[in-house]
Amino acid sequence: MLYLDHAATSFPKPAAVTAAVLRWYHELGVSPGRGDSQRTTEVTRLVEQTRQGLGRRLGLPGTRVAFTSGATESLNLFLRGFLRPGDRVLTTAFEHSSVARPLQALQRERQLALQILPSGTGGSLPVAAVQAALATFAPRLFVFTHASNVTGAVFDAAAFCAAARAAGTTTLLDVSQTAGWFDLQVGADAFAGSAHKALLGPPGLGFLAVREGVPVVGQKQGGTGSSRALAEHPAAWPTAFEAGTPNTPAILGLHAALHELDDAGMPTRRARAQAAIDALAAALAADPRVVLLQPPSGPRTPVLSFVRHDLDPAEIGAILDQADIHVRTGHHCAPWVHAWLGTEAGGTVRISPGADVTAADILAVSAALVD
Amino acid sequence: MNGRYSRQVRVAGIGEAGQAALGSSRVLIVGIGALGTHAADALARAGVGRLWLCDRDVVDRSNLQRQVLFTEADADAATPKAVAAAQRLAAVNREIEIVPHVADCSAAFLDALPERPQLVLDGTDNFATRYLLNDWCARAGIPWLYAGAVGTEGAAMVVMPAGPCLRCLWPEPPQAGDVGTCETAGILAPAIAAVTAFQVAESLKLLCGRDAEVTRGVFTCDVWRGSYQVVATASAPAPECPVCNRTAFPALVAGAPSAVTLCGRDAVQVDPPRRTPIDLDRLAASLAHAVQDLVRTPHLLRFAADGVRFSVFPGGRALLFGVQDPLRARALYDRWIGAC
Repeated sequence: MLYLDHAATSFPKPAAVTAAVLRWYHELGVSPGRGDSQRTTEVTRLVEQTRQGLGRRLGLPGTRVAFTSGATESLNLFLRGFLRPGDRVLTTAFEHSSVARPLQALQRERQLALQILPSGTGGSLPVAAVQAALATFAPRLFVFTHASNVTGAVFDAAAFCAAARAAGTTTLLDVSQTAGWFDLQVGADAFAGSAHKALLGPPGLGFLAVREGVPVVGQKQGGTGSSRALAEHPAAWPTAFEAGTPNTPAILGLHAALHELDDAGMPTRRARAQAAIDALAAALAADPRVVLLQPPSGPRTPVLSFVRHDLDPAEIGAILDQADIHVRTGHHCAPWVHAWLGTEAGGTVRISPGADVTAADILAVSAALVD
Repeated sequence: MNGRYSRQVRVAGIGEAGQAALGSSRVLIVGIGALGTHAADALARAGVGRLWLCDRDVVDRSNLQRQVLFTEADADAATPKAVAAAQRLAAVNREIEIVPHVADCSAAFLDALPERPQLVLDGTDNFATRYLLNDWCARAGIPWLYAGAVGTEGAAMVVMPAGPCLRCLWPEPPQAGDVGTCETAGILAPAIAAVTAFQVAESLKLLCGRDAEVTRGVFTCDVWRGSYQVVATASAPAPECPVCNRTAFPALVAGAPSAVTLCGRDAVQVDPPRRTPIDLDRLAASLAHAVQDLVRTPHLLRFAADGVRFSVFPGGRALLFGVQDPLRARALYDRWIGAC
């Protein structure tokens, strides 16, 4: 099988990751902070190292990184713990349902004023448009994705965050699509992400990291492994956002993944996947029936969306599946962007390889579609 | 004696004892279309005590030409066939119990019936379900009655638990495009009446305990040519038949084709459990005069029928655009693409 759906979840995981997960099941078996055994100490140390590893990539101390079940939970926790009735919220047309749906729910529950920045030319998000919206709308929160999961366009998060900071607006950045591919030290006030995409960790694990001083309130109460005597859930980070037994095997898997993914190697990995994407884009573009939905310029994640005039995206998915090529077709849980791409009816075919792909591998896609 | 069943009781093979047996019997009819409505009508009037009607489809105007029990009002309201038939039969005979099941006839459905039926009648339009009935009834030790009709021809057969069974005659279901369907070859109502007459008569014998008098062999007819005959079959099961040898019941493990509504789309993907390749050229030829917008590309076959656009792939999977209900998509798949 040729697996080209890394933007959904990476596969296969590095052997070190599955080994670390299994080590918990076979040898460790305990939760961090629960008990005093040597194994507990070992597990607690590994979990704290994982927090620090993530914090280092986000430009925040490890103590400000909470583990969640995934980016979706992280986004929900922040939005529900931060937004107050009547708040003004700025977001973008490129958001995933994990941002769009909680915002729409809160819009009803807390009467938010919501402004959605439209796509600029060719699927871009110009800094000037962000600055203008910040100035005229004066939102309390700007929540946005670092990259479109449909087009691969990476937005200028550093400039957006700087503009928001100048305007007194708090920023929540969804790094689900960029963590593992791009530098994340862009100065956001809060980050939400998942372990199982380009970070190559296991599913069922995500993180919420929030700069000190941002007034966000924990949404869950329960066991913490500490401060047992308190009637109230501790308000200190990261415990404030972690209640109940954590997904320790997944955290240990992410620990191994972060160790494998040295930051120095990131540009090389990205360049390899991007070269494969470019080769495929060139091959597909030779067919006049193909429309590539790529940003015209600027940085991109290794994601390529396309449509073909004579075939429905679902038909293309079925043809590729018969050639044992796994891709994603449809709307990719991005409810707003298709209006701008003109792909509301059937969505797109999305190709998203991992760093190990070769151009020769990926050309199987265009070959399977020759008729 | 002018009771409801007085004329039937006078038939030598029935009698008072036979009528009492009918009254306490349980019969499942799978598929309440042309075959199923004819059979259900006859069995309800004959006084079968408990009649279970299973169909996943709704009444359509094109059904009224041959599917008795349904009215124009049923077609206008798209009433589920099982429900419409049960309502009509309740007005015919209120002394019996009639239960509609708006369901896909799967192994899970059959296993979940509150009681075992004594007899199962085939009223289906596809071989996937017939092989399921064959295998399930053999394992349960229940006789079933195969019936089918296309064009002006029909065939029917009693399958006893000891065999020979449908697999003894045809080890595998025919391929999609190999056999005509009512959609491609049409159907003349008397062909339905002829095969269900055989099917119902044999059912009455079985329910009255007259097993020795059951007709052996395959009944075939062509009502246009006026030929009606019973073709003899082997009296013993085929030696290599897995079902009659009780070594395997392939249809019970094959699983049902999956039907999944595509996220955010008005479309369903139907995927057969075993990817049996389909000869798209042959399917295209068989559909040519029955469907619209037929297009064959190197990768797929496209056509429109019943208001739905189909894309069929060589591996057997199909995308159905313009439908959201997976059950309806499977019914349409079986109707237009055939056995899976």
